[in-house]
Amino acid sequence: MDDSEHPEETGESVPDASWPENGDQWSDKGEEEDDECGLLQEMAEEDEEIDLYNEETFGLDEATSGDNPAADPMDLLLLCSDNSPTPPSSPPPPPISSSPHSSHLPSRPGYRVWPHTPTGRSQRGRVGRGQLFDDPAVVKTVAGRPSLKSLDSAIVDCSLSSYWEDLNSNTWMIAPQKSSKPPAASILQDQAIVGVIDRSRHGRVPPVSPNFLSPMRPFSTSRGRRGPPFVGSFNQRCHYQPGGFLSPSRPLSTPMPQTPKLMHLQFGTDSPRPAPFYSPSANIMQGFGAPGPVAQFHPQHKRLLSQRQQRPHKKQVSWDPYSQIMSDKEKEWIIRLQMIQLQSENPHLDDYYYQEYYQRMENKLAEEEFLGDRLKKEPPKLTTPYVTKALSYIPVVHIEGSLGQVAVSTCFSPRRAIDAVHANTSDEEHKDIRQQKRLEVLSTIEKLYIVLLEVEEANKMKATVSDKDEERRLMQNIKRKVDQLYNELRCTNLLDSGEEFLSCLLISKGKRMLARLLPFLSHDASLHILSVVTKNLPVLMSKDTDEALTVLYPSLRVVIDRLAFSQLIRILKEFTATLPDSKDTRLTLACQNKFGLSLLYALLSQGERLLSSDLPMEPSIGDFETWTDTVFHVARQLSQTTLVEPLLLPSNLLTLFCRYLDKRTVHQLKNNMESATGYLAVAS
Amino acid sequence: MLFYSFFKSLVGKDVVVELKNDLSICGTLHSVDQYLNIKMTDISVTDPEKYPHMLSVKNCFIRGSVVRYVQLPADEVDTQLLQDAARKEAMQQKQ
Repeated sequence: MDDSEHPEETGESVPDASWPENGDQWSDKGEEEDDECGLLQEMAEEDEEIDLYNEETFGLDEATSGDNPAADPMDLLLLCSDNSPTPPSSPPPPPISSSPHSSHLPSRPGYRVWPHTPTGRSQRGRVGRGQLFDDPAVVKTVAGRPSLKSLDSAIVDCSLSSYWEDLNSNTWMIAPQKSSKPPAASILQDQAIVGVIDRSRHGRVPPVSPNFLSPMRPFSTSRGRRGPPFVGSFNQRCHYQPGGFLSPSRPLSTPMPQTPKLMHLQFGTDSPRPAPFYSPSANIMQGFGAPGPVAQFHPQHKRLLSQRQQRPHKKQVSWDPYSQIMSDKEKEWIIRLQMIQLQSENPHLDDYYYQEYYQRMENKLAEEEFLGDRLKKEPPKLTTPYVTKALSYIPVVHIEGSLGQVAVSTCFSPRRAIDAVHANTSDEEHKDIRQQKRLEVLSTIEKLYIVLLEVEEANKMKATVSDKDEERRLMQNIKRKVDQLYNELRCTNLLDSGEEFLSCLLISKGKRMLARLLPFLSHDASLHILSVVTKNLPVLMSKDTDEALTVLYPSLRVVIDRLAFSQLIRILKEFTATLPDSKDTRLTLACQNKFGLSLLYALLSQGERLLSSDLPMEPSIGDFETWTDTVFHVARQLSQTTLVEPLLLPSNLLTLFCRYLDKRTVHQLKNNMESATGYLAVAS
Repeated sequence: MLFYSFFKSLVGKDVVVELKNDLSICGTLHSVDQYLNIKMTDISVTDPEKYPHMLSVKNCFIRGSVVRYVQLPADEVDTQLLQDAARKEAMQQKQ
């Protein structure tokens, strides 16, 4: 496709050319061009480094490869096809076109098969026309492994380069041939390779055709083997990247100014080795740091992974004959192609789960460490780069007057055929009304959840934003939403039972929602909720099949800790009052329920704290009497019934009881409470 | 992107992947991509007698479309967070 452009650009530099025949001349021309472009000079330098790397990796030197100039092109095929002297016209199966194709090529002057495409290039894929096949790595691998795979790798290289050629017609980077190796021009007459090049010229050969790559090859290449030599030359290859990487990035998308920075982060010449992202460079076990070169992990995640690695993973992967089919660069390039698609304009939203999860883990660990008097400094978090997406898609196109919708299916929303509209049917069935009401409540809660999420987000942002106006605006926003939530939750009535909040409290999702809302509410509002909970405790406890009430405990605990004495007394009175429809008190029922008991303990503990502290209290008349009565009542109840294990046993309970009760009762109480919890209730 | 994000947080953890051909593979999740293709290291087949050809395989790449289930460690998953993420995703879709 783009090949047609090439002649114009390159025509002036390369005169004619029957391509295979004039391999010698090509190399000379290549050297001339070198002077034209400074970039090419860099490439030339890089070429030298690649040579060095090749030597190290493959144990070759120029001499040996130079000794092979007259490598018969037929050898390639001969070697490949099981040492049987098959004529070139019967090439091995993978898509290698037959001889007629080769006739096209000579007609194209200056056809440059292998522009320098650094990212796609393997160490074999050094450029310069004719240099590819000349490359000792290619020659050697073919010689060493007479299999289809080796031929494939050559083909892969070709197609890769021509792919980039298509994309990068204006970034024409040709590495001139510096070495004095005579090109094995005859190899170019090889049918197979010629055919593939032609194929890629005519149509787009995907850079990595799955046909070519061995499906059997395990993805963990034997990087281990390559470890030591690779490490040595890693630094040299490092700065190979920045210039090179630009080529794939440019055609592919929006400007990525972060890319060089990315490269720097990952492949800075002083980067430690093995770089945590650069997994293919080391033994796969070692390189667990990243699934790919651009996988950027939250520092917390990285730490977890590295801790995991410290476990003995001492198995060495043996030398894998197929591991050189793709070079590291090629692999990276492909992975980066994928990553480009994943770059989002709003990483916090698109990658919400991952970011939040590790942030929370970080916070938790930071808290723990803080308690342990150890502060860890986290390196700045790396996130997938932030790009602005130009296009937005409309998932559903609705044509007026039509039934249903024309769905534009994408990977995010495969197909939306109809709108599932919530129909309000009037049902006569009694059972259905209840069911319907429940569904209504559920849908209300679900809608309100979104508002709650917004509140939490705004709250988090408030902590980070510095501008005062912005902060105030956020706070107003938060307050408005919180009020909306409060009012809506209050009004949802289940069967017109008249009790506020009850309908949502009876549903687990509602309980969780309230638990998350409580921190945002004012003291009075939260007190109201607490009293509702206490009043309806029997109902809640009986209907709490999945123990969802316990999620309310932490938030309510916080509320209780802020209670004033008289408010506390009012709440406590509920506990000892007899229920209208049974002779039990809430107290007796609470003893059998984890949440109820924990709530009770929390209340008592708060009372004790208030009394024993020096803060001035303003008790109403009769408060102290009520308090003492309640304590007696509770103590008596607790010592008589078997208790369940509470969520938390406050430490000052026994102190409280000691003050009011005789020793024997206290002792009895202590035993009872301890037997439930399994650990000692220490009297502080 | 929700499940990609979710699985990213599980990289490095041990999972069991059950495929649509009933093969169950246990191993460490090495990486995941946007198609939910899974790479696993250190794998073992949960039922080795039935699949002797897997004895020597240590690492594998599984195409996302052939996965039936992925069994996860429960304590590595925050279900509330997952619910929130799903709600956000749904919200985003609507916009």
